[in-house]
Amino acid sequence: MWERVRDWLAERRQKLDLFDETLVARQDNPLYLMGPMLYYFWLITVVTGVILMLWYEPTTTGAYSSIERIQNDIGRLAVTFLGHPVTLGGLVRGLHKYGADALITVIFLRIYRMYFLGEYKKPGELSWILAITGLILGMISGITGYLLIWNQRAFWAAKVVLTVPVYFDQIPVLGPMKFGSMIAFLFLGGPAVGQATITRFYAIHFGVSLVLLILVEVMFQRTRRKRINMSLFPLTLFLIMLIVISIILPAESGRRADPTRTPLPILSDWYFLALYQYVKYTPPLWAGLGPGLLIGFGMLVPFLDRSKGRGPLQRPFFTVVGALAVIYFLAFTALILFNIAVIERDPLIIMNITLVVLVLGLLWELRYRRRLRKAALSGIRPPVRVSAHG
Amino acid sequence: MERRKFLKLLTTVPALAATAALVSPLLRFLKPNVERFKITAPTALDAAHGEPIPVATLKEVSNPWDYKYFVFTQKYPQYTPEGFKAANVPGVVIRLPTKITLYDPTTGQGPLGWARDIGKTPKVSESDIIVFSRICPHLGCIYNFVPNYKEVTAGYGGYAPPPPRQHALMACPCHLSIYDPADPQLPGRVLSGPAPRPPRTFLYELQGENIIATDVEPGGIA
Repeated sequence: MWERVRDWLAERRQKLDLFDETLVARQDNPLYLMGPMLYYFWLITVVTGVILMLWYEPTTTGAYSSIERIQNDIGRLAVTFLGHPVTLGGLVRGLHKYGADALITVIFLRIYRMYFLGEYKKPGELSWILAITGLILGMISGITGYLLIWNQRAFWAAKVVLTVPVYFDQIPVLGPMKFGSMIAFLFLGGPAVGQATITRFYAIHFGVSLVLLILVEVMFQRTRRKRINMSLFPLTLFLIMLIVISIILPAESGRRADPTRTPLPILSDWYFLALYQYVKYTPPLWAGLGPGLLIGFGMLVPFLDRSKGRGPLQRPFFTVVGALAVIYFLAFTALILFNIAVIERDPLIIMNITLVVLVLGLLWELRYRRRLRKAALSGIRPPVRVSAHG
Repeated sequence: MERRKFLKLLTTVPALAATAALVSPLLRFLKPNVERFKITAPTALDAAHGEPIPVATLKEVSNPWDYKYFVFTQKYPQYTPEGFKAANVPGVVIRLPTKITLYDPTTGQGPLGWARDIGKTPKVSESDIIVFSRICPHLGCIYNFVPNYKEVTAGYGGYAPPPPRQHALMACPCHLSIYDPADPQLPGRVLSGPAPRPPRTFLYELQGENIIATDVEPGGIA
């Protein structure tokens, strides 16, 4: 048993591919630029983050003002853009913020690419699981990062996210051990959002990126692979894009956190919006369990999907599930952005749509398999399993 | 058993024991008020302590649906070198149109029945004044007292109250939970949205003209 697990892992580790660095031959295809872009944006975010640390003050009283100063005063250049001064501090903060946004976008897109192209199948299971882990860590880094601004959005997001685990205390058997409250208290540094929360979030925000960067560096050293598999052109282009957007659309600071007032409406960072809308619809225990199940499904997909083919049409059911996830992500985000949801009415509609679509997906899958079997009977061989990238 | 397996086992046991022995100290490093050798039920020492404060005068809430916001300060343990932190619990005093039972001294039931858990007895058992904590019992945002229910329908997720509830309501900006402060059986009843329970309440007493909030129902993240 133990030996088998080890062999399984060893085989996957040999084919491990974190940033598409083994797919050099596919560089002409933008879909395969996402891996190196991921690493590139990550580096930009870490470097600018370290620079920001020189000026950032992690206290409840000083955080917001220090961000404002970084944005408006530090390293002021002799240029103005549309009336507001251009500062090096603002530029670095812009690169950090938009670099992180780009990073999350690229992680999302890359996961969808891996999903729809069946790259999670053997021997890609480990790469896939690590991609999902990367997304989770990216989101954790995101939420711990935007609390550091100590503005309204950040404060309420942190409080909401860490009140969710408290409801795990309701789970039968495991619940009464109160491990849910424990999680909340450990992250918040007590039963209230305060100085301890900033300190802990600061440590997590910084630690997640840095420790992982070191691990990835170890991997690159051992495998002698190239770090950024991109030509100079996209490299420069993306950097210029980030710089331009940081100047045109300086990163916002919002309003200073006020623990006695929650503004209406209040939003979260864009990649949490769909989840936010979902939380409005469901009882709070499910607000925590739902995303947990989604992550669990993501991690287990390589083992659930036993179909042979890699193309999206060769495994209809999983393609339908993936498409549904994309559509819900976009639809929920739209619902919350335009504030058009009706809390009473929507959940039933959504449940019904989901059910119908899943059943249709299942029927499609059955029909596809029946056709395969018929073809096999009449002497045509079913497609053999092909490796992901030839 | 083979000799090799036996020796392996012999080295594994102390290694595992050492790891297990580290769990409790490690937990205490992260959460200094955990008791020794205890890794479950950590909340007892995290209880908050507040000072009674006057929150409104009777004159300020003399008519039905008059309300007044206030801020109650509680001290929470916080895992910093200072150890404690004063956190705010925003609250609202509401004058209801009718009297409701807040606490039944014979059975100990009622909206203020939680007082027994912290070893107190409510001073007021029946009243048309009720004091809510404005921390949403769902995920901890601060909800609003909305005097006009039409604003609730327009701004808080399209909930339209039935005729008997067309009065002032309480609504949370974050996830759009709606509460009815004047429900006679269960003040603060959840009318819509994901909240699992009514908002938490304050114990209060009347001293002359003043309404004094003394304790807030424990629970949640402040």
